[in-house]
Amino acid sequence: MFALKGAIKFCNRHHQIPRLIACYLVVFGLSLSGTAAWADWDVRGNFTQELSVFPHTAIHEANQSSNYSLSAEAEFYSNLGDNGSITITPFLRVDRNDSERTHVDFREFIYTHVGDTWEARAGLGKVFFGVAESENLVDVINQTDAVESFTTDQKLGQPMINLTLIKDWGNIDLFVLPGFRTRTFAGANGRPRLPFVVNTDAAEFEASNGNDQIDFAARVSGVIGDWDLGAQVFHGTAREPLIQFNPSVNALTPLYIQNTEIGFDAQATLESWLLKAEIVHRAGKLLDDHIALVAGFEYSFFDIKSSGADLGIVAEYLYDERGDGSPSLLQNDALIAFRLALNNAASTEALAGVITDLDGAGNLLSLEASRRFGDSFKASISYTGFSVNDSESPLINLDREDNTRIELGYFF
Amino acid sequence: MTLLISNHRAMRQLVLAMAITGTTALYSTSTWADQAAKDRGLEIAVAVQAQDDGFGDSESAMTMTLINRSGKESVRRMRSRILEVPGDGDKSLSIFDQPADVKGTASLTYSHATEADEQWLFLPALKRVKRISSKNKSGPFMGSEFAFEDISSQEVEKYSYTYLGDETVDGITAHKIEAIPTYKHSGYTRLINYIDATRLIPLKVEYFDRKNSALKTLSVSEYEQHLGKYWRAGKMEMENHQTGKRTILTWSDYKFQSGLTDKDFSSNSLKRLR
Repeated sequence: MFALKGAIKFCNRHHQIPRLIACYLVVFGLSLSGTAAWADWDVRGNFTQELSVFPHTAIHEANQSSNYSLSAEAEFYSNLGDNGSITITPFLRVDRNDSERTHVDFREFIYTHVGDTWEARAGLGKVFFGVAESENLVDVINQTDAVESFTTDQKLGQPMINLTLIKDWGNIDLFVLPGFRTRTFAGANGRPRLPFVVNTDAAEFEASNGNDQIDFAARVSGVIGDWDLGAQVFHGTAREPLIQFNPSVNALTPLYIQNTEIGFDAQATLESWLLKAEIVHRAGKLLDDHIALVAGFEYSFFDIKSSGADLGIVAEYLYDERGDGSPSLLQNDALIAFRLALNNAASTEALAGVITDLDGAGNLLSLEASRRFGDSFKASISYTGFSVNDSESPLINLDREDNTRIELGYFF
Repeated sequence: MTLLISNHRAMRQLVLAMAITGTTALYSTSTWADQAAKDRGLEIAVAVQAQDDGFGDSESAMTMTLINRSGKESVRRMRSRILEVPGDGDKSLSIFDQPADVKGTASLTYSHATEADEQWLFLPALKRVKRISSKNKSGPFMGSEFAFEDISSQEVEKYSYTYLGDETVDGITAHKIEAIPTYKHSGYTRLINYIDATRLIPLKVEYFDRKNSALKTLSVSEYEQHLGKYWRAGKMEMENHQTGKRTILTWSDYKFQSGLTDKDFSSNSLKRLR
């Protein structure tokens, strides 16, 4: 575990991409050869091409009207002995314009041992907590890989030791998180981005040992009838940075503070209704104690007029007690979205959603459609549109960053 | 066609006449006959279910071929694991292997005889386990001609039955039983089951849509008996008469009583399924 962490840290020191990739591949190859024969590996993954088009010229130096990018992800899984397994999931993105977006990561590099009433994991892992659609406030373990998408659902692998105790009523999860990973941000030549670049190399930490800080988390989760419930506590480096203007580097810099977060999440599944809520309380030395919450519902019309198609309506409210002082843009906002699934052979789906700032600061519009072609290809097209009403807002020029993204993935 | 319609009319007029004149003897005879047919239908349904009691747990692999009207095929593969829950519906897991973009997706269902089923879905890209609504009974499973209600655990309590006599299906004597869904949100007004009279296994099912029009026919074949007792089909073919589409399911690699327990069917176990 620590050897692995060391190896990855060693790799991360190589900022030149070819050397970085080579380094990861060596680590990856060594671990493969050291564990099991190739034939025993179960593999799945994808190669995806992405084309983005920006109809407006930017007011920052990234002036490209389009961008091309390639990504590859593969998950290698093998049993080790009767009760163990290893999962290795390298991810690689190469971006034509943005050197910050060109990156390698291990989403997972983790050993799992399954006992009778417990499970243990050690390595780089990915876990998900939460129930909401717009934002998952209780999803506190993994750092967001923010260069991947404008949403927070793409995550970096997190060094962890995780013990799961399996009870009749649910699970207790304990996490030791040795090593913090900083959030990725678009570079100077990347789009879409804010008018100012976030300089990730100048990241600051409240903890004196920076990203060597060890964080802890515990979670209890279970199902009671129609209710899926979770309660958790996290102590350590908040995954979401405070963004400050740093005159010495003339750029925005992230500040990673220490905090203690208590969170609850609940979903009630009542026929066509899913009622959902996540609430967190955060406290820390550099932080005003506050709560944040996301709550709402999803209602589905199934098999509309015997066509097989489903239409889901999602409505959620997002709140952060810090108001305008919150690093989150979703401090008093509402999401309304419509999700259509044709449930046909091609799995054709479409999503239309808008997040509106209820103080009138602006809107985020998102349109998406996807379908499968043949057995192995999947294509999607999405549009993200920003509108900012407040001329004083630091986000005022974000509406120049509207974009259409086309992706074609080959899956294996 | 004309004959059928006029026959229907004649029948309706007869029933109407009976109702109006209130021919007591005829009326009570017919309810007695109705009740006998219902009792016989239920008796057969219970017998079909009872001979499967005690299978404990099973595993199998399934290939699903979707065939559209012009004959174009697409293939899905999945594996399933089932745990028998005495006195209630089974617990089942499905793991998807093909198409590749859904590889690793898994679903977990706790089916119940009378209450709503509980259902979870695991999305491997996000490592997310999602509780989903089980209300969708009539929608298509994986874009196929099988609805969710066709492939879910078939508990006796989910239908009311009427025995309609014996007929021959592919040279085999079969009990013809009408089954009317008692659960909510079914896409069917009724099903006609053809149950092999000696082996007590379904050979054919005809489905009638919400307007009571013929919708689909399921043909079940290539049965094999496992552990000297439990019959499992090797092939199921569903034909949609309204769209001309077909779906063929083939089953293989059956394993019984490999010692699966409740812990293998928890929402936690979904995250590490293979």
